[in-house]
Amino acid sequence: MTTHAIPASHAHAHAKAKRYTGIMDWLTTVDHKKIAILYLLAGLLFFVIGGIEAILIRIQLIKPLNNFLDAQTFNEMLTMHGTTMIFLAAMPFVFAFMNAVIPLQIGARDVAYPFLNALGFWTFFFGAVLLNISWFTGGAPDAGWTSYVPLASNTYSAGEGVDYYVMGLQISGIGSLLGGINFVATIINMRAPGMSFMRLPLFTWASFIACVLIVFAFPALTVGLVALMFDRLFMGNFFDVADGGNTILWEHIFWIFGHPEVYILILPAFGILSEILPVFARKRLFGYSSMVFALVLIAFLGFMVWAHHMFTTGLGPVANALFSIGTMLIAVPTGIKVFNWLFTLWGGSIKITAASLYAIAFIPTFVLGGVTGVMLASAPADYQYHDTYFVVGHFHYVIVGGIVLAVYGGLHFWWPKMFGRMLNETLGKITFWTFYIGFHLTFFVHHFLGLLGMPRRVYTFLPNQGFDLMNLISTIGAILMGVGTLILAINMLLSFRQPKGQLPNDPWGDGRSMEWALPSPPPEYNWKQIPLVRGSDAWWKEKMEGNTEMQPAEPLGPIHMPSPSILPFLMSVGFFVAGFGFIYHLNWLTIAGLLFVLLCMAIRSLKDDHGYHIYPEGVKE
Amino acid sequence: MAGNQTVTNEAKHHKLEGPQKHIIVYILSLALTIIAFAAVAAGGLGDTFTYTILVIMAIIQAFSQMAFWMHMKDRGHLFPTIAIISGVVVAFLMVVLAIYWCWW
Amino acid sequence: MSAHQHAEGHLPHELEKATLEGRNKILGFWIFLGAEVVLFGTLFGSYIALRHQVLDGPPPEHLFQLPMVFLMTLILLTSSLFSVFAVQAMHRQKVKVLIGWLIGTVLLGLSFLGLEIYEFVHYVHEGHKVSASAFGTSFYTLVGFHGAHVAFGVLWISLLTFQLFYKKLDTIMAPKIYISMLYWHFIDVVWVFIFTVVYLMGKVG
Repeated sequence: MTTHAIPASHAHAHAKAKRYTGIMDWLTTVDHKKIAILYLLAGLLFFVIGGIEAILIRIQLIKPLNNFLDAQTFNEMLTMHGTTMIFLAAMPFVFAFMNAVIPLQIGARDVAYPFLNALGFWTFFFGAVLLNISWFTGGAPDAGWTSYVPLASNTYSAGEGVDYYVMGLQISGIGSLLGGINFVATIINMRAPGMSFMRLPLFTWASFIACVLIVFAFPALTVGLVALMFDRLFMGNFFDVADGGNTILWEHIFWIFGHPEVYILILPAFGILSEILPVFARKRLFGYSSMVFALVLIAFLGFMVWAHHMFTTGLGPVANALFSIGTMLIAVPTGIKVFNWLFTLWGGSIKITAASLYAIAFIPTFVLGGVTGVMLASAPADYQYHDTYFVVGHFHYVIVGGIVLAVYGGLHFWWPKMFGRMLNETLGKITFWTFYIGFHLTFFVHHFLGLLGMPRRVYTFLPNQGFDLMNLISTIGAILMGVGTLILAINMLLSFRQPKGQLPNDPWGDGRSMEWALPSPPPEYNWKQIPLVRGSDAWWKEKMEGNTEMQPAEPLGPIHMPSPSILPFLMSVGFFVAGFGFIYHLNWLTIAGLLFVLLCMAIRSLKDDHGYHIYPEGVKE
Repeated sequence: MAGNQTVTNEAKHHKLEGPQKHIIVYILSLALTIIAFAAVAAGGLGDTFTYTILVIMAIIQAFSQMAFWMHMKDRGHLFPTIAIISGVVVAFLMVVLAIYWCWW
Repeated sequence: MSAHQHAEGHLPHELEKATLEGRNKILGFWIFLGAEVVLFGTLFGSYIALRHQVLDGPPPEHLFQLPMVFLMTLILLTSSLFSVFAVQAMHRQKVKVLIGWLIGTVLLGLSFLGLEIYEFVHYVHEGHKVSASAFGTSFYTLVGFHGAHVAFGVLWISLLTFQLFYKKLDTIMAPKIYISMLYWHFIDVVWVFIFTVVYLMGKVG
């Protein structure tokens, strides 16, 4: 079935390997472990930016008729907050963990396409930078993260803001698609001997399904953005009603992408939960098969419910009923997962750490978000909730109370594996409580604000409608979340004062999956010998039989590694330049950027990479 | 590897596939294309019936080219098949929404 | 398909599948094709939604010339057959024959593009433009995207053919050629739906 890497190079090993140091090492790396760190850093950067945008929004809304931000700036702030958090913070966090953990969990030395992995990161990064440059060039996009037409068309958004949205996301989207393809192929083809699909750790399963969603959802966004671009830049008429265009078409295309997108974000979070809970309950995950089945069902249904964002557009009762029922159905496999997590904890020997706090808190918080989701799923009721703060409360409960809690937990959990240091537990717990209390203060009141009739995306509100106190509480909560995050940032920085390489392979002691069989952090090549997997929870199995390391599945030998390359970085610069060209109608710049990309692709094709060999201890050169 | 198995594998592998099946697919594709064009050029068949013919001709042609020219029917193509079918499902949703759920 | 050893030391016949890297490339490309199905599916969906919004422009029944579309279809179909023969030559290690079929594929691809450009220029003269109506925009986006894919394929296959003149046909070149041929077949499959949905259904009305 699966085999270890047979060197693609010819019989002779290349003795002279191109190795870089310092910044060049990071710009040219194709190592999944380094790329994970790059994704994490970028994700943290944009998470902070998005967080600042959120706090600015909340300051504007701290009291009625405030004038801290004017309406235009407020619209840009809310657009960028949403776009940044979803595309530029959550997605890279997900890719960071997938890169850091999956090859280790499946017993591989790297992902299927190390070069494309790097290209995926750099295109994501330059797309993100392009989008954020709009702040400095006369206006960020201001049509919401959903960029509905006709608001986003030239008629109502004449500046370049929405063009930055289109080009920034288009370029970033290339990165996401590449990452998705990479991990699907990696998980299919690069599993160690004995690692059957039903022995995969759940984080790998969840990521696999999420990446399948990426592969089939992102192309729809690509077309939507192209269509919007053609309308805005080339006098196209996809969405211009006067010339035959259709505005509902945008909503359909966007949400056929957009709904799977939120499952792309939450599924890996579910995976993280399923990794953390068994370790800190010292008990194996309850109901493995049903967990896998639930993931598949959630993913499939996730593609069938997009129009629940469109209940009030006039689709008609039949469509509304279908999408309503479909949406409610998703609660079933999700509920299966929730119960399985609870049954995992029940009867376990629970250890409270920062990581397990986040994981345990996830469960009721995400369920709260889920039940308001079922409320929203009822089409007739949605006529009341739609475009109010009720919706804002719902999605922040599932995104922040779901994804962010899982990410924070995952950071604590896998920090030793990624960096060879531990995050401080005391600071971690302080962050948890500050953030968690702040979170509920911020978003719980949103449900009531919505029910009282406060619309979303409004830059201010009139006094004495019952909104004042709750908005104040919400803003206080947001500041608390900021404080908690700041403490986490300090925690992360302080951890680097610890010397590297002092930690055991399995610092939590109760690791179950194979990443805990490797040093913290692992060597460049991960496995000296590809491991033999003899059951689920492969590392736990070996430990229970008294082994201190995984059994090898291959003899000791030279290890073939892919060469680093500057091309992914350069290609992304090319896309970035072309993006500018499109936005400012500078055809020569666009052509130059795209030609440069093609040139880099040609170089990649012409110059074969034969890689280089590493000779671990005991192997003769 | 067992001696017998090696011999059988080698025998199988030495039998390289010839061009016959592929040429048949070519002729089939040509025929399906001609039928489709003829149905439209002739006219007078009624819109629904013509559309049905067109769709069926296209699907058969697409399927045979993928199965034979792209080797989708050969062993080792489970995941490729799943990938294409999943894509088709989503594409089908797009077409349905375009026909039924876009109005002015 | 694993790399199996011949006692005599010959290379395996399906070179492209002989290494893990090769198998990875092929699998990854199929997954990419699944994504492309969604991409074109969305373009088709948009076209289907908007194709009747002709406004004052020339309607499809008048614009589309079936004989030319048939010729273009024939050209692309034949080029797809050529690429089958190319892979078969590759499996037989006949590099010169392989190069011949690849050049044939590229030449037919260029002819297709030439006809399509001629067609578009003609349409623009008739008033059928991107900016004219929703029909115009969605037509040129869908058919243009396909044409762009053909153009990229022509460049890609040309680059690979050029490499075959000085590189060995080995386990590194074989997967590249194989996936470029998968790509070429795929764009012919997409064309089947384009001539059906755009041109033929356009003529029916």
